[in-house]
Amino acid sequence: MTAVLVCCGAGGVGKTTLSAALGVHLARQGLRVATLTVDPARRLADSLGLQGLGDVPRRIRSEALDGEPGGSLDVAMLDVKASFDRLILRMAPSPDTAQRLLENRYYRYVSTRLAGSHEYMALERLQELADSDEYAVLVLDTPPSRHALQFLTAPDRLARFMDHRVLRVLALPRTVAGMESLRRGSGLVMGVMDRFLGGRTIQEIAQFVALLEEMGDAVNQRVEQVRAQLRRARFFLVTTPQPASQREALLFLRALQDRQLPFHGYLVNRCTPAPSLRAAPALDCRVIEPAPGIDHRSWSAILEGVRRAPARYAHLADADQASLSLLRHAAGEDVPLWSVPALAQEVDNLQGLARLGAYLPPPEALLKP
Amino acid sequence: MNAGLQDAGARTQTAPDRLDELFSHRVLLVTGKGGTGKTTLSVALGLAAASRGLKTLLVEVGGAQQAALAMGRAPRGYRIQPLHGRLEGLSMRPEDALEDFVLKQLKLRVLYKLAFRNRVIGPFIDAVPGLPDIIQLGKIWDLVQEIRSGQPRWDLLIVDAPATGHGLTMLAAPRSMMEMTLAGPFHANAQRVRRLFSDPATTAIVLTCLPEHLPVRETLELYAALREHQPQVAFCALNQLQDTPFPQLDLWPRARAHLRELADNAWREALELCDGWVEQSQRQERARRGLVRDLAVPVLDLPRAVRQPLELEDLQQLAAALAERLADAPETGGRS
Repeated sequence: MTAVLVCCGAGGVGKTTLSAALGVHLARQGLRVATLTVDPARRLADSLGLQGLGDVPRRIRSEALDGEPGGSLDVAMLDVKASFDRLILRMAPSPDTAQRLLENRYYRYVSTRLAGSHEYMALERLQELADSDEYAVLVLDTPPSRHALQFLTAPDRLARFMDHRVLRVLALPRTVAGMESLRRGSGLVMGVMDRFLGGRTIQEIAQFVALLEEMGDAVNQRVEQVRAQLRRARFFLVTTPQPASQREALLFLRALQDRQLPFHGYLVNRCTPAPSLRAAPALDCRVIEPAPGIDHRSWSAILEGVRRAPARYAHLADADQASLSLLRHAAGEDVPLWSVPALAQEVDNLQGLARLGAYLPPPEALLKP
Repeated sequence: MNAGLQDAGARTQTAPDRLDELFSHRVLLVTGKGGTGKTTLSVALGLAAASRGLKTLLVEVGGAQQAALAMGRAPRGYRIQPLHGRLEGLSMRPEDALEDFVLKQLKLRVLYKLAFRNRVIGPFIDAVPGLPDIIQLGKIWDLVQEIRSGQPRWDLLIVDAPATGHGLTMLAAPRSMMEMTLAGPFHANAQRVRRLFSDPATTAIVLTCLPEHLPVRETLELYAALREHQPQVAFCALNQLQDTPFPQLDLWPRARAHLRELADNAWREALELCDGWVEQSQRQERARRGLVRDLAVPVLDLPRAVRQPLELEDLQQLAAALAERLADAPETGGRS
């Protein structure tokens, strides 16, 4: 069965980069991998050949991927609208139903704006890739959310939406004859909805619900499959030692624990390694004379900078260590934590991604049941 | 209250400065990606406005309650609470704002309130995505209009407004809501809200950003998206600028070559650490330059705070730094 790795965390912590690096890392170890990414930075996308690609996986060919035989890396980018449309086309009992749904104004409004629709469609796409049975490992870079929880609750939200009583109430009296009592019972709610949304919008919602009804249980079954997949996935929390992203990570951890979802470890990005030198080196008479072409004033500023560097990095490293202990403490001491150092160079090509592999978990740890 | 800041306020009251000009708006929307320092900046702006004698309300949307916590107070949710001096705070959840809206439209009495809460509010929020944004903006509009003893209750509203993860701002909500509803109270509300937030005399937008490649790119995208809807971005605060080792970074290769010849072990390690620091500083500077070049509004550099969490004094210092940077800023950025 395909192993699914889900990288979660706050925006701006380097989720996309680390998800891509995990894909490269595992492909180099001889595994067939697909990484599903969300809105990668332009240069990273360029280097992966993702520009204008859409959500069809593309095989990456590069010497940077050379490693154990049999490995390959495919990369796809999430397209919410395309995934939603495909879901409809697949679930609809007839092309006509599908077509009418795709043209429904309410559907078009809702499909990209529904809270959790990005998150749900990422999972949906993941399920499609898992169903294809072409990959040993799938790596999902989760969408940045306003709230960490949005990702975990996306299937529930969609199921609730598709099955919503109010949507049904709106649709029923118009689509089924002889439902007068039901109409009277919900008259208050309907009156309010009618008044606030206007007749035409209500009609479109009613048409939307009627078309959904034609799909029967197909949608709900699919949502259930996706939900089951979420329960089997391996969750990794990507964070930095910074207080804001750490707070988000801890919230997410709590959410995983509450739902008893499998948490497999932290990837802590942009850590400062502790320097062996913690204090300023002694000022020695040989360095006091400026380098050729540098005036005395600039030179003493430079010397002062060099002498301040060890204390600065020691201070940053200490703060990071405190942050790592807190993360460990929150998850239990036996939960694995990998720290990825802050690299001086921006990682924006495959070689850079491959170099990150040195700091990532070995495949055994990533694929541990 | 910080005496220095009050003095600064008193001094500027005689000759209006750039901050007064900013505070002459009725609404300041502070927006940017998560983690770029929106709440901190909102509080700093709020303190600055209040210290200039303005009755100021800091509004947090989406149920966030960080401002009260930052001021060392217990959050009180959807009830206006004093924060500091003339600065007060309100945390809004979409449900609260929607309930207000529906009740006002229907002229229903409190009796109906409980029965309605679950049957109408929840379904609306579920059935019409985007509604929470538009309704919260509508509530802000109501607050702007509020009159007390013949005077506007608030001189200035500062809104801590998150940009969603998908790059769209809540400010894009009115247009899609109008397209979706075509008529009715939601439509009318969207129209009203859109007028308020696209009037440059009433509303100004403040962006927050960090001096890193990705946040800068996202800020530029947000700026471009905002300009489609409403053009009046006042400035962009570039938060958490890190200290650099020395001012003339371009001298480093030459200095380093010279020092390497002389270095003992301790110096060698210090040089290596300084390499990283110089590179990080250069990267920060590149990001900053990219932002300054492509934004047609001033970019204000604000230093990284020494301690976390910030205390009142830090926030007041930040407010003072902000006033100073704004006074020094050119009228526009690199491109106009």
